[in-house]
Amino acid sequence: MLQTQELQVNIGPQHPSTHGVFRMLVTVDGETVVDLKPVFGYLHRNHEQIAEANTYLQNMPYTDRLDYFNSMANNHAYAMAVERLAGIEVPERAEYIRVLMVELTRILNHASAVGFMINDMGAWQTPLAFGMREREKILDLFEMASGARLMCNYFRFGGVARDLPPEFIPNLRELLVALPAYIDELERLLRDNEILLQRAVGIGILPREVALSYGVTGPVLRGSGIPYDVRKAEPYSVYDRFDFDIPIGKVGDVYDRFLVRIEEMRQSKRIIEQVLEQLPDAKGGHINPKARQNVRPPVGDAYARIESPKGELGFYLVSDGSGKPYRYKVRAPSFINLTPLADMCRGYKVADIVVILGSIDIVMGEVDR
Amino acid sequence: MYDILQALINGTFGWGWPDWLIYLISSLVVVTIILVVAPLQMLFFTYYERRVIARMQDRIGPNRVGPEGIWQPIADGVKMFTKEDIVPEAADRIVHFLAPCVVVAPTILMFAVVPWGPGMTPVDLPTSLLFFFAVSSISAVGLMMAGWASNNKFSLLGAMRAVAQMVSYEIPAVLSLIAIVMIVGSLSINSIIEYQAGLLISNRDLPGIPDLGLGWFVFTPVGFVAFIAFFIAALAEGERTPFDIPEADSEIVAGYMTEYSGMKFGLFYLAQYVLNFLLCAITAILFFGGWQGPGVNWLYAQAITPTNPDGNGLFNVLAGALGVFYFLLKTYIFFFVMVWLRGAFPRLRIDQLMDFGWKFLIPLTLANLFSAAVWVAFTRWGAAEGMLITVGWSPVLRWLAAFIITLAINIGVYLWLTQVYAASQAERRRVELEELSATL
Repeated sequence: MLQTQELQVNIGPQHPSTHGVFRMLVTVDGETVVDLKPVFGYLHRNHEQIAEANTYLQNMPYTDRLDYFNSMANNHAYAMAVERLAGIEVPERAEYIRVLMVELTRILNHASAVGFMINDMGAWQTPLAFGMREREKILDLFEMASGARLMCNYFRFGGVARDLPPEFIPNLRELLVALPAYIDELERLLRDNEILLQRAVGIGILPREVALSYGVTGPVLRGSGIPYDVRKAEPYSVYDRFDFDIPIGKVGDVYDRFLVRIEEMRQSKRIIEQVLEQLPDAKGGHINPKARQNVRPPVGDAYARIESPKGELGFYLVSDGSGKPYRYKVRAPSFINLTPLADMCRGYKVADIVVILGSIDIVMGEVDR
Repeated sequence: MYDILQALINGTFGWGWPDWLIYLISSLVVVTIILVVAPLQMLFFTYYERRVIARMQDRIGPNRVGPEGIWQPIADGVKMFTKEDIVPEAADRIVHFLAPCVVVAPTILMFAVVPWGPGMTPVDLPTSLLFFFAVSSISAVGLMMAGWASNNKFSLLGAMRAVAQMVSYEIPAVLSLIAIVMIVGSLSINSIIEYQAGLLISNRDLPGIPDLGLGWFVFTPVGFVAFIAFFIAALAEGERTPFDIPEADSEIVAGYMTEYSGMKFGLFYLAQYVLNFLLCAITAILFFGGWQGPGVNWLYAQAITPTNPDGNGLFNVLAGALGVFYFLLKTYIFFFVMVWLRGAFPRLRIDQLMDFGWKFLIPLTLANLFSAAVWVAFTRWGAAEGMLITVGWSPVLRWLAAFIITLAINIGVYLWLTQVYAASQAERRRVELEELSATL
């Protein structure tokens, strides 16, 4: 046998495919990964502490910056937590608008996640351009409704900031007509490519038991074959009125995670179509007129969780009766999904690390807070 | 070049200059042309690649500098020159400096044997093909020097990948060329091109065939398999997607180039694009007839050549221009394919690349070598040379038999190999999974 030496390589914090300032201390034996230690905290910006110094409403735009791909979903979870704390009712139309926005966010997130993963595999930007094409159309819709494309800050306690503009629904219908073709195209990109199959099938396997013991949620958990989805397990908002399926994977490898994401986009489209059918046409029904935005909730605590595109997103709030939260805690899905990274990477090649990381679909803004 | 100058100066103009002066002038002209053309090709290639990829990604691409952004590569070059040249503190300064030179020099040298048109080879070596591939392997040394001297782990990983990949893909590349060399019976690139005259598929072996310059090797079973194998190997040698593993930007930043900046980085870039151009060119030359095409041979027959001293010098220019046009057209089509692949495909992993090279391409090219031997046996050896079976067969019959038998061999080997390869891949994946579940 040849004498070999293990090599320690720092991938990150400044690296093209760590999705932000994230560092992996990788021990490699030639090209094989022996061990991996994720190091994060480079983007820590004291989010939770700052939130305790703000009023409840001031925190709403801060939640946009957690997972900057899915500001609508973050808004939703935070608004639900405050509503639970202060006992605010949400009108039906507002609930439907919220669901609509969050499902659009899910399509947007999954499309770009698929694009980014194939980009990490080395396809030079083209798949990303495919994913971003859908994202642009949805961002246009967000801009119509909220005035902003990324940091929407659209939700308010008891509803949403403003009602849907008249041109929103026709544009959405146009998008829905084009969407199946887009999704099929993205899927063909995945399924029909021999190189992609070689790089994704059987790579980064996360067995069911390991996934459960780490508390992983979202498409990563469902890819490992566990049909757990907060929308079904504990229906919030109006999700109990919709008919949709939870796709699951068989093996729990990179490929399964992305098939799950593709299928979830189709299910989200189904939900949006049902929202459009059921959307009540109440004028001014987008917000509860009695809800005060400068809330002073009674003493107590509340936890609200939603199925964000990346997994279970929860907000835990403790109120001491003042206008500012006493304690504000975020259960960030990206952070918890990132913890089994070492287990997923061990034994694979250096080139697989970035693909596995891409398949978890993290956003550092949410991991470090 | 000497022939053309000799023909023009002493023939057409009748100035009667001495031979040594014409030699000197022709050498200077050739060297200047090579040193100017190589970087110009590279500049145009970068622009071409960016525009084509932009089209694929629904963008416009560089379009600000000059009409349609045509001066963009010049602007990039100026930027490269004005950048600070950083040498890492812990680097081996001398080797770090030498590495880009060692990488660039062979690629420029390779230009010396590329025939641009009829009678337009800068240096017409009798063993030019051997020279071409021998020199191209030198750059692997430069890559290892760059990776080692940078004292950076990404560079080292990239250099190791680059050397492993180049060394193992040179074998199928050269094996597929040997099939062609066997058929032509010469290592000279010019003889290979001249051999590819005649009509489609049938080549010039058959009697009574008009010379359209279309007898390209790619139309024969042997040549087609060799072409596919060679082009795949060329993608790996030129570090193009899906084999751009040594500089996988999403994994190891920029591979061996990570610690280079300014014009040293530019030189690596230059070497890579020049190498890509040369690989596309050699593909066009060996399998698609180089400058061969309808009309070139007819024009060249009227021109002044050593065999035809009473020709017209004007036809030298015309034949040359048409030949260069065909040659560049073919080369650019192959480069387009390279760009197309880059825009569409993810990259393979290094172990999958090695598997594919050693377990699939090399057996395939070896079998193709056997097909080439059969082809030569049937088409070349008549009764005079003692191939007993084909004694008394007409040339057409011999050619037809060779075509059918080599086609059958190649298709059979291809089908068999794909099955064996798929089975071995599945077996490997199973073993890997078992090992993995044992560790969990």
